[in-house]
Amino acid sequence: MTHAVKFHPGLMLLEQYVEGSLSADVALAVSAHIDLCPHCQQLSKDITNDQAAVLAEQAVIERDSSQEWQQMLDFITNQPRSAGADSQRSALPQLASVTVNGKTFEIPRALARLAEKQNKWLHLGGIATAKLPTADKQHVSLLYIDKGTEVPNHTHLGLEMTLVLAGKIVDENGEYGVGDLLINSPDDTHTPRTLADEDCLCLSVLSAPLKFNKGLTRLLNPLQQFFY
Amino acid sequence: MLETTALTGHHDVLAKQKRISQPMTIITNSEPRTGQWEDALTLVALNQDKDAYAELFKYFAPRLRAFGMKMFGNEQQAMEMVQDAMLNVWRKAQLFDASRGCASTWIFTIARNVRFDMLRKKQSRKDDISADDLWFDGDYPEQESNSSEHWDTMLMSEKLAPHFDALPPAQRMVMQKVYLEEKSHQEVSDELAIPLGTVKSRIRLALDRLREALDDTRS
Repeated sequence: MTHAVKFHPGLMLLEQYVEGSLSADVALAVSAHIDLCPHCQQLSKDITNDQAAVLAEQAVIERDSSQEWQQMLDFITNQPRSAGADSQRSALPQLASVTVNGKTFEIPRALARLAEKQNKWLHLGGIATAKLPTADKQHVSLLYIDKGTEVPNHTHLGLEMTLVLAGKIVDENGEYGVGDLLINSPDDTHTPRTLADEDCLCLSVLSAPLKFNKGLTRLLNPLQQFFY
Repeated sequence: MLETTALTGHHDVLAKQKRISQPMTIITNSEPRTGQWEDALTLVALNQDKDAYAELFKYFAPRLRAFGMKMFGNEQQAMEMVQDAMLNVWRKAQLFDASRGCASTWIFTIARNVRFDMLRKKQSRKDDISADDLWFDGDYPEQESNSSEHWDTMLMSEKLAPHFDALPPAQRMVMQKVYLEEKSHQEVSDELAIPLGTVKSRIRLALDRLREALDDTRS
């Protein structure tokens, strides 16, 4: 991958990801970013070592529960070892792909299992979305934007995370390539678009619907379910 | 700097979420020697050695319970997590590979994953996001090591002092021994009885944190 990732999750977000305290949909976007970003691969490995050592170093108060521990210990050591434990882990991350608009894109390991079960692509102009089958409260989808297409100016009613999986996307704030993670807070407004010669595939995580702002596109607000 | 402001923005959003609680008592005395748990896991893997396992269990089970209490706030679920995690340690010890990291890291990630899946199972249907999706249990392709030498100029900065004091205690202690007392990584590892890899990880994390802090004050 020649593109150098420029937009990363902050340290605190990575710490919460490693600790396992992020909500699953946000963690999924962070995980897919890490799959694409060597810098954050190293960082999350370091954070894991650090948190594990903090856990191992902590002083614990010995309560009067030795009998309970002994029972648990006896129970565990009487269990057989895993039958399949000898089988090796996959050494390298497995890649999967999705096909949209006649093109096939590789997607990160973190999305492979979910993307296999994706619903159908829904098309609207140059834009297509496919919702990933996660729990009901989460709005995780793949978003395809054909070249030379603009997503109408919108405001986020909640948190929006967009991870570029292929191609490139531009908005008022900059240009984002493969692996870049954009996080828009509630009330942020922007008009993302693709360049004339390159389309774009993204992972989109939304905590609330988008609100379209301008002119005729306000008519899109009834269609916000399309993106959400 | 566009990138920095973008990242600072992320922090503002997520700062509302629960902060990882940092202060914890750190024992430096009576700490087991480095390598003890790795050896114990190897004995469990090779011989299903119950004595070696009991040593691991006595040390880690109460600490995993504390981790579970912090995350669940509930004794019964915390103990359920401990049992599931420690059972995995017993049954899958062959999968532990000391060349990929230390025993405490392996055990921590097992507990974290068990806990995550316990929560999801209670909440939703089975094709939902799972711990296996989120945390890759394998190695990414090797990157050329980014040496920490170019950090030295940053460490000379006068502005650094307040940020240095704000580092998490465990990271600050490692940084102090390496940069102020000029000890080697190995010496720090021996002195604090933490794995060499953890010493290196803490240095990289502290440097990253300091860089983030310095960037913040600049913008």
